[in-house]
Amino acid sequence: MWDQVKQALIQATTRFLTRFVSLLPGMVALILALLLSIVLAFILAFIVRRLLTRLRFGERLVQWGFSSPAESPTTSAALLVSRAIAGLVIFIGFLIGITAFDAEWTSELSQSALAYIPNIVGGVLVFLVGVIVARFLARSVLISGVNMNLQYARLLSVGVKWLVIVLAVAMALEHLRIAPGIVQLAFGILFGGIVLSLALAVGLGSKDLVTKSLERDAKKQPSEAIEDPLRHL
Amino acid sequence: MEVDSIPQQAQEAIEKIERADLVIGILADLGPNGIAMLCDDLQTLGSARIVVLQNDKDAGPTPTPSEPAGKSSFPFVLPWPLLRPDPAGDPVLNAFAAYQAVFAASEKLGARACCVVASKLENATPQWISQLIHPLLQSNHDLVLPRYARRKRAGLLNSSVISPLMRSLYGKQIHNPMGPDLGASQRLFRKILGTGRTPRANGVHPLASLAPAALCDNMQVCEVHVGARSYPPTDWSNISSLLTQFLGPIFLDIERNAICWQRVRGCAPVPVIGEPVSVSHDTSNPDLSRMVESFQLGNRDLQEIWSLVLPPASLFELRKLSRLPLEQFRMPDELWARIVYDFALAHRLRTISRDHLLKSMTPLYLAWVASYALELNAEGDAASEQRLERLAIAYEANKSYLVSRWRWPDRFNP
Repeated sequence: MWDQVKQALIQATTRFLTRFVSLLPGMVALILALLLSIVLAFILAFIVRRLLTRLRFGERLVQWGFSSPAESPTTSAALLVSRAIAGLVIFIGFLIGITAFDAEWTSELSQSALAYIPNIVGGVLVFLVGVIVARFLARSVLISGVNMNLQYARLLSVGVKWLVIVLAVAMALEHLRIAPGIVQLAFGILFGGIVLSLALAVGLGSKDLVTKSLERDAKKQPSEAIEDPLRHL
Repeated sequence: MEVDSIPQQAQEAIEKIERADLVIGILADLGPNGIAMLCDDLQTLGSARIVVLQNDKDAGPTPTPSEPAGKSSFPFVLPWPLLRPDPAGDPVLNAFAAYQAVFAASEKLGARACCVVASKLENATPQWISQLIHPLLQSNHDLVLPRYARRKRAGLLNSSVISPLMRSLYGKQIHNPMGPDLGASQRLFRKILGTGRTPRANGVHPLASLAPAALCDNMQVCEVHVGARSYPPTDWSNISSLLTQFLGPIFLDIERNAICWQRVRGCAPVPVIGEPVSVSHDTSNPDLSRMVESFQLGNRDLQEIWSLVLPPASLFELRKLSRLPLEQFRMPDELWARIVYDFALAHRLRTISRDHLLKSMTPLYLAWVASYALELNAEGDAASEQRLERLAIAYEANKSYLVSRWRWPDRFNP
């Protein structure tokens, strides 16, 4: 009886140790891959940060309308991008290390994670382009509105910006395949809501203005037109 | 040689004419007998071979001379659709293209000089055009510019920005550096046309680059006193486009000629030919409240854009200005000069999109116009000369500010 128990314990210990030893190379490989990726990430982050600082990336972001000058000092945007790149490199190193275990599930996990990376990159790109376009259009609308003497120029500009950003976020989420049904529904509601609120705000806000303008146009006779004496060119 | 801008039929006509001493491009409508009167007047220039390119939007295939033109057929009038009758086309850009076409035709004909007439003067016969031509042919001037009899509320973009800016940068007191009526020597229009490449590729603008190119090359520039110009009515919905179309090429040219204008010190007058022409006084009072309102709205809503271009001191001054009642509304000359300089620098640095930048200047320009008009409401046209002289001096006094910011845009902090 005791011999059988002893035998079973020895077999279990052997099996455990055998499995543990078989995992050791994978663990060492994981640690090595992590260490290497951390070193590589730091080097890459350093290079990217120096490069972006030299290219005045922060100031350019302000010029492109991503943020106001107070929000982004020259180095912080570069720091953010370099840290994001470092994080990505470490994550890829971790996935490579996991794959070294040679277990079926780790392989599948890393494969699916790696296969999802293009979606993330695509989604981020769609969002970034959307933000750039939104800021550009918002500025165009704001300047044109002010030059047309529209009191609600800022409101229009903010409305246009959020319309485009909402559209970009919906497209990015669609690209990431995150709850596409909900995203479509939410987008429809949000987009329609913004358009409706803008229409109501502008329509109701400028009701008197439009009435006065129409009345003035209706009353004005062509012969009464007063010629403006100012000449610019 | 730049001949792309010459239509095929016109090229054939030009080849038949072979050569000319002077080419005159008439973009303005000189009236029913205008061209005939001009031709009569040109006969007094002697045996010069003169070709008149008359803008005719309805001109079909250009009539070509059957044989090389003899002496008696000059001045030869060639109807030519210089200003394209495209309703969707931009009239200002069309006008620039017309200057280009006249320069190209002059080059093709090997003309010693060319002259472009784009305006109609009040109560004047087309003989004033001869006054622009004389200095080109007789005293070998390279650039002849008009000095129109001034009305205090006319040519405001030129008075507020173009003329004082060019005066302070290039050191010559030119009142209408962009014409639009002008005479140019072969040396000058060849420089504008460039060699081998299109002027656009050279970064040279047919109108904005003309005076700077002449001044930077120490060419002979003079002005001719002429009557008051008839200005087109103001299109208030289009002021920002106007600023973009005119200030864009000027700011580009400032960037191109940075080495030249940074060396220039002081300011000198250019020779002026003829006697000043007197004009009737302008007594009407424009409605300035909407311009001030536009500025106040800009000051409220465009702060985020202006703060990228203007230093805090200027922004503070603008905020103070926006709180003033209409009757006290005055923009200091120093502030306006610095604003123009800051926008020129921002244009060079591409601080924001250049189109946005120039359009965002509109409320500031309207503020200057309102301030200027309010100041001169009770004054005569003569007072405007003194007022604009003070503005030009302010531009000159603040040139060091521009030079410092231009050289050290990051380090220089006013």
